[in-house]
Amino acid sequence: MTTKGRRVSRREQHRIGGTGASVTVRNTLIAYAFMLPFLILLVVYHTWPVIFGSYLAFTKYNIISPPQWVGLDNFRELFADEQFWSGLRNSLKYVLVVPVIQVISILVALLVNRPLRGIGFFRTAYYVPVVTSFAVVGLIWSWLYKQGGAVNSILMGLGLMRGDHSLLDNPATALFAVMFVTLWKGIGYYMVLYLAGLQGISRELEEAATIDGATRSQVFWNITLPGLRPTILVCSLLSTISAIKVFEELYVMTPNGYPAGSTYSALMYSFSKAFGGDFNFGLAAAASMVVAVVSILFGLINFRLTKGGRSDA
Amino acid sequence: MPDTTLPQTALVSDPHAQLAAQLKVQRQRRERLRNAAAYAVLILIALIMLYPFYWTLVTSLEPTGNIYEAKILPKALSLRNYAEVFSGTTVPFWRLFLNSVIICILGVTFTTTLATLAAYPLARMRFPGRDLVFYSILILMVLPNEAGLIVNYITTIKLGLLAQTSPLADAARQYLAVVLPGAASIVGLFLLRQAYLGIPQELIEAARIDGARELTIWRRIMLPLATPTIAAFAILEFVAYWNSFLWARVMLPDKNMLPLSAGLLELSGTFSTNSRAVMAGAVITIIPILIVFLMGQKYFMKGLEGAVKG
Repeated sequence: MTTKGRRVSRREQHRIGGTGASVTVRNTLIAYAFMLPFLILLVVYHTWPVIFGSYLAFTKYNIISPPQWVGLDNFRELFADEQFWSGLRNSLKYVLVVPVIQVISILVALLVNRPLRGIGFFRTAYYVPVVTSFAVVGLIWSWLYKQGGAVNSILMGLGLMRGDHSLLDNPATALFAVMFVTLWKGIGYYMVLYLAGLQGISRELEEAATIDGATRSQVFWNITLPGLRPTILVCSLLSTISAIKVFEELYVMTPNGYPAGSTYSALMYSFSKAFGGDFNFGLAAAASMVVAVVSILFGLINFRLTKGGRSDA
Repeated sequence: MPDTTLPQTALVSDPHAQLAAQLKVQRQRRERLRNAAAYAVLILIALIMLYPFYWTLVTSLEPTGNIYEAKILPKALSLRNYAEVFSGTTVPFWRLFLNSVIICILGVTFTTTLATLAAYPLARMRFPGRDLVFYSILILMVLPNEAGLIVNYITTIKLGLLAQTSPLADAARQYLAVVLPGAASIVGLFLLRQAYLGIPQELIEAARIDGARELTIWRRIMLPLATPTIAAFAILEFVAYWNSFLWARVMLPDKNMLPLSAGLLELSGTFSTNSRAVMAGAVITIIPILIVFLMGQKYFMKGLEGAVKG
């Protein structure tokens, strides 16, 4: 599971592949013929957006007339727009969901890693929200959050809430209410990844430590958790980046930043500038670029915090 | 209580055995308690994960009553809301269903075919530029592509996929417009390449010596031996295409062309007076995905695990 081991094996695999058919013009043509359809679509829908999107950020463009170079104007407009800042702040606030979702997912993975009867049922059940679309999940939860709805009656029953008001209608709670849905939908996904990580940790090591008199919590902190570090890096990277790019759940549950812009995210800003009626693709691309840069920064922070995902302590 | 399970002689004759037995019983009791606690937590989490779906199902089956309240059983049963979804709106629901099915068939076929083809030379052939192609694709996976939606929208329009000529051609082009942006799956390419690398090189060499062409090797050796990975990937893609809504919603001007997920949002927007019908629509949207997921659950989980270990 270590990055070093993986690199060696990949090189090894290259070597094995390399002993294949000899290099001839004919074989080269055949190889590229195999990859051609894939590569064409890859360039059109993956490479081109990166290149053209970066260019658009410095232009005025509305599809009808050709893009006009305007230098940093879009970025100036962006940074002068309070709406964009508020969107960016909400996107950063959304990162709060990351530690919560990771800790819970690890705990759930440890729980379903036990050899209990019927554990397969629970693993499957926890995965059902993952395979359901945000369109459906978002609708269901916006019903559950309604005034007089299930969430409110549970919260009031537990004494956690006074007065029956929908959490989605209150600017102070709306973002957190959507965050809970992200959490609920994401746990199953990260659970599976952590389960795979747990299965990569050697059982013998844990057992040897137990025989040597280590307590359960010592085993967890000194063997299991360090062994999970590569998985933690992958998972926290994935969830941080998707938190900063949060969009779909907000789009379904709290359209247009409802209420009072409290759920407006940075990508929602970009989206509404492009498709909200004024087709300001340049400004939208600039906003997307800022989101991209912020996610790269957070990705680097993740690398530092997990020590590059090395499993050795 | 503890000594009933032990042979009497051992208890009487050997104090060490007695102690060991007591410890064992203690450990078993602790283990049983721990398992009971584990089950309690497992069940609680399962309730949190599944109740929202159950609540939607129950409410969609009720004809009247307090719509949003928490409930365990329906007050009355009726399929009226389900009939309403199909008849009571301007958007024909069966059409949305058909759109989703077509989009999924096209999408899954494209992505699996393209990835299974492209992964073969990258895993098993030697040609100039192989490492360059491989690492360029790797870089693409890491590069953030936030402008994807914006640029792909522009590309789709420039490619003329939304042009209007005849109804049938328009429909075909719009389906393509939905499917194509996701058709080259980098994750799929890596999964398949990994699967191919696990196939013994001797098999391929033997086939080459026998004069088999690369396409034959691919079809007769690689595809059958990589079937589990292909199945896992196909299920992943089915789920992705079935659930996609944003792209289709942004791009398709014709509401009759929307897939179910996107159509459901349309429904809830235009149909605010009858939430129960929208709930029925949600149930109909979930069921196919649940069936596919449960059928392919084993492959599915393996596929995900493979994607991380890559």
